[in-house]
Amino acid sequence: MEWNPQTRQFLSDCFLHTLSPAPEPRRRAESSLSEASNLPNFGLAVLRLVAEPPNSIDEQIRQSAAVNFKNHLRLRWSSEDNPILEPEKQQIKTLIVPLMLSAPSKIQSQLSEALAIIGNHDFPKSWPTLLPELVSSLQEASQSSDYVKVNGILGTANSIFRKFRFQYKTNDLLLDLKYCLDNFTAPLLEIFLKTASLIDSAAATVPPPPAANLQPLFESQKLCCRIFYSLNFQELPEFFEDHMKEWMSEFRKYLTTSYPSLEGSGPDGLALVDELRSAVCENINLYMEKNEEEFQGYLNDFALAVWTLLVNVSQSTSRDQLAITAIKFLTTVSTSVHHALFAADGVIPQICQGIVIPNVRLRDDDEELFEMNHIEYIRRDMEGSDLDTRRRIACELLKGIATHYGDAVRNIASAQIQSLLSSFASNPTANWKDKDCAIYLVVSLSTKKAGTSYVSTDLVDVQSFFQSVIVPELQSSDVNGYPMLKAGALKFFTMFRSQISKHVALQFLPDLVRFLTAESNVVHSYAASCIEKLLSVKDEGGRLRYSSADIAPIFAMLMNNLFNAFKLPESEENQYVMKCIMRVLGVADVQLDVARICIEGLGSLLSEVCKNPKNPVFNHYLFESVAILVKRASERDPSLVSVFETSLFPRLEIILSNDVTEFFPYTFQLLALLVELNRPPIPPIYMQIFEILLSPDSWKRTSNVPALVRLLQAFLQKAPNEISQGDRLTKVLGIFDTLIQSSSSSEQGFYVLNTVIESLPYEVITPYISHIWAAIFRELQKRRTVKLLKSLLIFISLFLVKHGWSNVIDTMNAVQPNIFSVILTQFWIPNLKLITGDIELKLTTVASTRLICESPVLLDPAASVSWGKMVDSIVTLLSRKEQDRVEDEGDMPDIAENVGYTATFVRLYNAGRNEEDPLPDIKDPRKYFVASLSQLCAHSPGRFPNVITENVETANQEALLQLCNTYNVALV
Amino acid sequence: MADPGFSSTKRDPIKSSVGNAAGIRRREHAVTVGKERRESLVRAKRLCRVGISDVEVDVESDMMIDEEQSILESQTSLAVQNLKSALAYQGKGAMQKRVGALQKLRRLLSRSEFPPVESAVKAGAVAILAQCLSFGSPDEQLLEAAWCLTNIAAGNPEETKALLPALPLLIAHLGEKSSSPVAEQCAWALGNVAGDDEELRNVLLIQGALIPLARMMLPYRRSTVRTAAWALSNLIKGPNPKAANELICVDGVLDAIVRHLTKADDESATEVAWVVVYLSALSNIATSMLVKSDVLQLLVNRLATSNSLQLMIPVLRSLGNLIAGDSHATYTVLSPGLAVTDNAIQVMIKCLKSEQRVLKKEAAWVLSNIAAGSVEHKQLIYSSEAVPLLLHLLSAAPFDIRKEVAYILGNLCVAPTKGDEKSSLILEHLVSLVEKGCLPGFIDLVRSADIEAARLGLQFIELVLRGMPNGKGPKLVEQEDGIEAMERFQFHENEDLRTMANSLVDKYFGEDYGLDEL
Repeated sequence: MEWNPQTRQFLSDCFLHTLSPAPEPRRRAESSLSEASNLPNFGLAVLRLVAEPPNSIDEQIRQSAAVNFKNHLRLRWSSEDNPILEPEKQQIKTLIVPLMLSAPSKIQSQLSEALAIIGNHDFPKSWPTLLPELVSSLQEASQSSDYVKVNGILGTANSIFRKFRFQYKTNDLLLDLKYCLDNFTAPLLEIFLKTASLIDSAAATVPPPPAANLQPLFESQKLCCRIFYSLNFQELPEFFEDHMKEWMSEFRKYLTTSYPSLEGSGPDGLALVDELRSAVCENINLYMEKNEEEFQGYLNDFALAVWTLLVNVSQSTSRDQLAITAIKFLTTVSTSVHHALFAADGVIPQICQGIVIPNVRLRDDDEELFEMNHIEYIRRDMEGSDLDTRRRIACELLKGIATHYGDAVRNIASAQIQSLLSSFASNPTANWKDKDCAIYLVVSLSTKKAGTSYVSTDLVDVQSFFQSVIVPELQSSDVNGYPMLKAGALKFFTMFRSQISKHVALQFLPDLVRFLTAESNVVHSYAASCIEKLLSVKDEGGRLRYSSADIAPIFAMLMNNLFNAFKLPESEENQYVMKCIMRVLGVADVQLDVARICIEGLGSLLSEVCKNPKNPVFNHYLFESVAILVKRASERDPSLVSVFETSLFPRLEIILSNDVTEFFPYTFQLLALLVELNRPPIPPIYMQIFEILLSPDSWKRTSNVPALVRLLQAFLQKAPNEISQGDRLTKVLGIFDTLIQSSSSSEQGFYVLNTVIESLPYEVITPYISHIWAAIFRELQKRRTVKLLKSLLIFISLFLVKHGWSNVIDTMNAVQPNIFSVILTQFWIPNLKLITGDIELKLTTVASTRLICESPVLLDPAASVSWGKMVDSIVTLLSRKEQDRVEDEGDMPDIAENVGYTATFVRLYNAGRNEEDPLPDIKDPRKYFVASLSQLCAHSPGRFPNVITENVETANQEALLQLCNTYNVALV
Repeated sequence: MADPGFSSTKRDPIKSSVGNAAGIRRREHAVTVGKERRESLVRAKRLCRVGISDVEVDVESDMMIDEEQSILESQTSLAVQNLKSALAYQGKGAMQKRVGALQKLRRLLSRSEFPPVESAVKAGAVAILAQCLSFGSPDEQLLEAAWCLTNIAAGNPEETKALLPALPLLIAHLGEKSSSPVAEQCAWALGNVAGDDEELRNVLLIQGALIPLARMMLPYRRSTVRTAAWALSNLIKGPNPKAANELICVDGVLDAIVRHLTKADDESATEVAWVVVYLSALSNIATSMLVKSDVLQLLVNRLATSNSLQLMIPVLRSLGNLIAGDSHATYTVLSPGLAVTDNAIQVMIKCLKSEQRVLKKEAAWVLSNIAAGSVEHKQLIYSSEAVPLLLHLLSAAPFDIRKEVAYILGNLCVAPTKGDEKSSLILEHLVSLVEKGCLPGFIDLVRSADIEAARLGLQFIELVLRGMPNGKGPKLVEQEDGIEAMERFQFHENEDLRTMANSLVDKYFGEDYGLDEL
């Protein structure tokens, strides 16, 4: 693409149309641009358009071109596919810096990002002119005090230096860093100090200059601080160590000085100064963590400064980010070797009162979040995603101080809790937040104990706190009064569920059920969660503490309230309620009539979510609930299977016919469960589903494959006769053949084949055997991955134990003469040691043992080497630990197999298949092996010990001897 | 640049299925951005205040006088002028006159903490002094001239560069034909030149300073050995390993190192040990030759018997470099069962107990590399009294020491691996260290700002999750807030860490984890 008036016109028109509200011209422009983007020099042409003078091209067009330019670079700068060519790159690199610096701010920010993209790939080695250019422009801009430019340059430097914050320390990275340090540290300090003095003199001016004059200066300092962080991240550079004093005295100034003219100019002004202070806190926190020895001299001053600052900041609601970074700094100090700063008299109480409590107290925005966005509130409050909230960080500070001053913290915190509670008692209506604060402190400062979910605290006595503080809330007759206090009480109950004794907990279970009807989403979610967690508490020995009898009295009301909770606004897909239903159905004793109601309730929810699957967690628990209901209720009362089928089939059919692909894996798993619960013959409707199963389209999505295999196995086991009819088996084996051709699904293919071998009579399989072998040998020619070899050995073994060694050998050799001995010596013997899993180990051991003890092919004296090697391999398999004999191989994901939307396969825990043991009569494979071997030896005494001595490794000979001793047999 | 053959993988064993651990971190990164730290001793450059030979007796005029810097400067310019005219003077007593002028200049340059080097250089001192070094000049003159140059070279880098014209003569006087005070003074001057600038080091190497300096290390004369060793340690400090490679191949150098480490006084041994530090940090050949000699044993003995911090630092660092650099050190010299191995571990414990932070850190680094050795090495450390010490340090020491200690403890828990195999656990060590409470220390590292430390912490968490019997791992990690620590990496920009942390959380705390417990 050549830059000429036509190009200019073309691009300018296109970008104008991309802004059009009418879809037609917009789409046309977008597709013209996307087509043009394949031409060489497209990027350059767009950049030139951006560079056109404002009076000739509208700024809107240039802005949209700048966005396009940035995206173009992101896609093409170093892609494999049609990348920007070197000469074009060179020209772009030459143009971009001056252009970025002179552009209006919106275009500047786009170009700065574009520059950062180039920098990520090319800086510094392939772009040696960039840094010198930035430095000299910085000096020029600084001399003329042009802070638009200064900040543009600093912003760019900040983005190209960011990589030092997260890449591993390698020599290459350090070389780059050294280059940046050598060139940039001195100019950086210079501009930082210059701006600092401008700020100082502005602060001293009366009347103060307008906020707009100060704003770019603070912006600039903030950028300098961020760059400081990047350049200091890997290790402390010499330059910064030598100039620590200059940096630190300015840093301290920003923490201790207030700038009323800017801070008072509106929320943005205060936010900007606070951003600078936060950046300073991050820097000193970094020094405190990593260079505390060099930083030591400044520590006292900074600790005092941060502390004083925090006492002010903690009173205000809108300064969260600063409060958080500042508290983090104090936390770092408290856990460091310099923790003695906190040892002085009165420090800890002051921190507790002045910093921790004010930050833990509920604020208006917490209340707002509680009401307006319960999902986010729960995520932060209950699920630990509150790492960066001031409530949590304040508690972290207390925990930090407690690492060295545990007793002091405990005393002060429990005194605080008591005083908060008595303040609440004096006036519950006005001071309810004090109680919330007390509960929050107890919960947040508790520690988890070893074992499952045992949480403990030494701040209060859990039992009496529960009785005196929590129970009044639980028993409150108005489920909608003071919802935040209710939520806190429910959270306490949930957290300390293991310590609340069973009879106490059961006493309040009806109250929990009552709170399921609360209007507040957080409250009914917490109630559901609390019930759900209570029902999973395990006592010593892993027994569940609560049984069906415990919930029987309230069961009807519980289910009723749970299902009704979905009718409350914004809880239509409440995952906590759904999970609770799953848990209850897993514990309760579900009678016929209840089962009918439940499956209808779940079924209609299913119909609803099929229309637009939104919340994957809710959906998952919904399917789990269905699965556990179907499984438990049908096992108790087999007549229910048809009830479930009637309710579920229409819904599952909708999923399949409307192509709700997210739910396919769940659907196939549920169907498999239903097939298995049926007694043969299975209802004809299933054979319709079986046809879907055989269609190659179903198998195209990798996420479906495990569930489909699971379903196919269920069919093969429950309906072998139906499958033997027509061309169904041909189709099943066709699926096997397709699956083994991709390494990601080859195991699944063998699962299908193994089920065929296990479930169908031999006569039915006979006509297909040679094709099966041919397919397997073909794969062996292509690749010999561990997975394939293992699958092969397991299949041969299963075949052998089911249908005898002669069938195995004969059918193989029918494909190609003598191929059995090739397979035996090249694949079976050397790879037997790779087998893992108890059932698999037993199966292959038994098969291998039968082969050497029964088949004339191996008993032929001419085959004695193979015979001996096989013994060697079996001994290896049986005597060594899995991890000593098996090497993992890296899995190569087969991306080409993923078609379209990638739903992922999620296993339904409650629809799981029971592993079948093909050899239930043999308990101990080791015993079976040595006993068989000893019998064989007894038939021809003296023959086999020699073969063993000659062919079995010394270590394995000893292991074999040990095995014989263990089972008290001898090899003669 | 780093010697490419030098990427030993000694520290690799703590490797996990979710990611690769740091390879060994050699003490001397090929690139350093931090300040060169030689601890408590200004080593790179030294001012010569008091003469090195008995020639100098003129004590009273050497008295320190608190003069104004400006007076000092003008006196210096004048002294240079005087020297020029003294040199031009050919009459009777010319030699006396020259020496007198030199002494005057030398005194001015030796007098204050900040010698008036700039004025001397501006006045043209270097060319004149070089002239005074011409062959055949009397020793006294040579000595004084070299002394002046020594102190000029101790100035800032620009002033040091001014010495360029004098370098060939300074080097020439290192030869055996020179008297030892002269040679020594020249070595001192050259040591200063080599002090802080790679370019100047290269010039010195091209001009052949290395071999005569190396030969000066061979005889027994204490002060000569000391000065020569110090100058050499400056000259070979790279980052190009060529000089170190050459030095170790000079006939007799290895023997001299062994001899001095065996017999020399602490002060000389300190200088020699610094030579060993750079040899072992930079040169593969040197490392392998040193390891095959008795040096390891000698270094261990020195550490055991000395309490001089100045000596212990380079000795410990040399030991660490040798162990890190050549597997022969761990597997043959320090093989378990030998007395030297026990002694080595004992001296490390001594250093770990020391009040000196630098010794603790270096010793932990050395131990981490021994702990990367065979299973027997791990058992040896594990059963020594180091473990309680290490556990304490992991929870209470400053960050850099905690990180080193974590490498040791981590390495104690995994068996050596070959190639890319998954690391297998030493279950006994893992279980007992976790029971003794080391997990919170590792989780703290995950939370630290240092990404290598974070990686190490994650790898240890992986071991705990995978290895603790009865599936206790996930509970323990959860109990120590490990999930929260790992979740910090959910969107981290370091892809490796992000994947590692996320896959651990998914694998051990995914939906299934909930199902069993919930």
